[in-house]
Amino acid sequence: MNRHRVLFVALVLASVSVAPALRAQGTPVLGIADARAREAVEREIARAADRGLPTRSLIAKAQEGVTKRAAGERIRAAVASQARRLEQARDLLAPSPSEAELVAGADALAVGVPAPMLRQIRAAYPAGQSVAMPLDVLTELIARGVPATHALEQITDLMKRGASSAQIAGIGASVQSDIAAGLTPDAALEVRARGVMSLLPSPAAASALAPSGRRP
Amino acid sequence: MSDSMQDPVISRVRETLRSESATRPDPVAVARTLQTVWAAPRPVWWRRALDAWRMPALSGLATSAVAAAALLVGFVTRGAVQTRDALDPVAAAGPATEEFPVQFASYEGEETARIATQFVFEHATAQSVSVVGDFNAWEADALPLTRLPNGLWTVTVPLPPGRHVYAYVIDGTLVVADPRAPKAGDADYGREGSVVMVFAR
Repeated sequence: MNRHRVLFVALVLASVSVAPALRAQGTPVLGIADARAREAVEREIARAADRGLPTRSLIAKAQEGVTKRAAGERIRAAVASQARRLEQARDLLAPSPSEAELVAGADALAVGVPAPMLRQIRAAYPAGQSVAMPLDVLTELIARGVPATHALEQITDLMKRGASSAQIAGIGASVQSDIAAGLTPDAALEVRARGVMSLLPSPAAASALAPSGRRP
Repeated sequence: MSDSMQDPVISRVRETLRSESATRPDPVAVARTLQTVWAAPRPVWWRRALDAWRMPALSGLATSAVAAAALLVGFVTRGAVQTRDALDPVAAAGPATEEFPVQFASYEGEETARIATQFVFEHATAQSVSVVGDFNAWEADALPLTRLPNGLWTVTVPLPPGRHVYAYVIDGTLVVADPRAPKAGDADYGREGSVVMVFAR
């Protein structure tokens, strides 16, 4: 292979390698027709990235606005709100929440879950064990009309007793169905939580397991 | 003096070349040559672009350095690039098609587990229906549903466990909630969606 060919291959390789990286350094291409609005949204996302927040959720929020044909300014405001919620969730779920936990926390705040409840959920599982699913279920229960304090109490009890993520998620889905079938939200949660509790070890046994950080 | 300098054949060739280089070029021959070159058809644009690309040859060391730099840049930046597949594992699985309307779940451990989740929507007159949600970054054309003869539309996609908000897009424009599922409020855009709780049973 002569030098020209080697050089050509090198240049092609370089351009193939660098182009996506450059595109990734800038904010992803958003389907917002208005150029000024798009730039404003991209600035919001870039600012969030500078603050160390995950950007996937913000990009999805912007794209949701595009799909729902929202005005550019409204999309920018929605992205800014989501960034604030992510940041708040990061503080509440400290010390090291995963991206899934941050998004679950931000969604909970968006639905109206009181902020201190995020801390209480975090405290109910050993450090390092994801609280994304319990947060999702708490969010769903409150969205369905279960009083927030009752929902938190039941979820944290289940977590402390060693209920798995799947068991907690099952409660969320069952309560949905029960409410659709006519039960009150409170009653639906009560009966479903009781059902799962009956499958779990006694509180004494659960507390003996807790220090080991048993994963669901 | 080396043997080659004493070789009579080489000596004759050298003398011939020296005598020809001393002679003046024939102007007629030069003109004819130039005319022939100008009369020749011009190469196509891509060929000219390739020709323009040619530059003074680099030394072997410089060429190797450029190639090494390109490889280094590619290696360093590979982790910085998020492909669409990385951003959106559901879309990466590919949309459903007529032949394969069901996308099966893959189970790769708790953190990456995906649960096969079926979406069903009824609309007799729609030309196209797709499902959008947080799981596919609300991309309107990422997950089209397959039309069944009875007016139902369906697709099954692998979703991560958790609470997912979604909606259907009819004919590429109209965004509607799922009438069969619990509603999800939308403080940001004011357009109600639906909720599905996904978990391993």
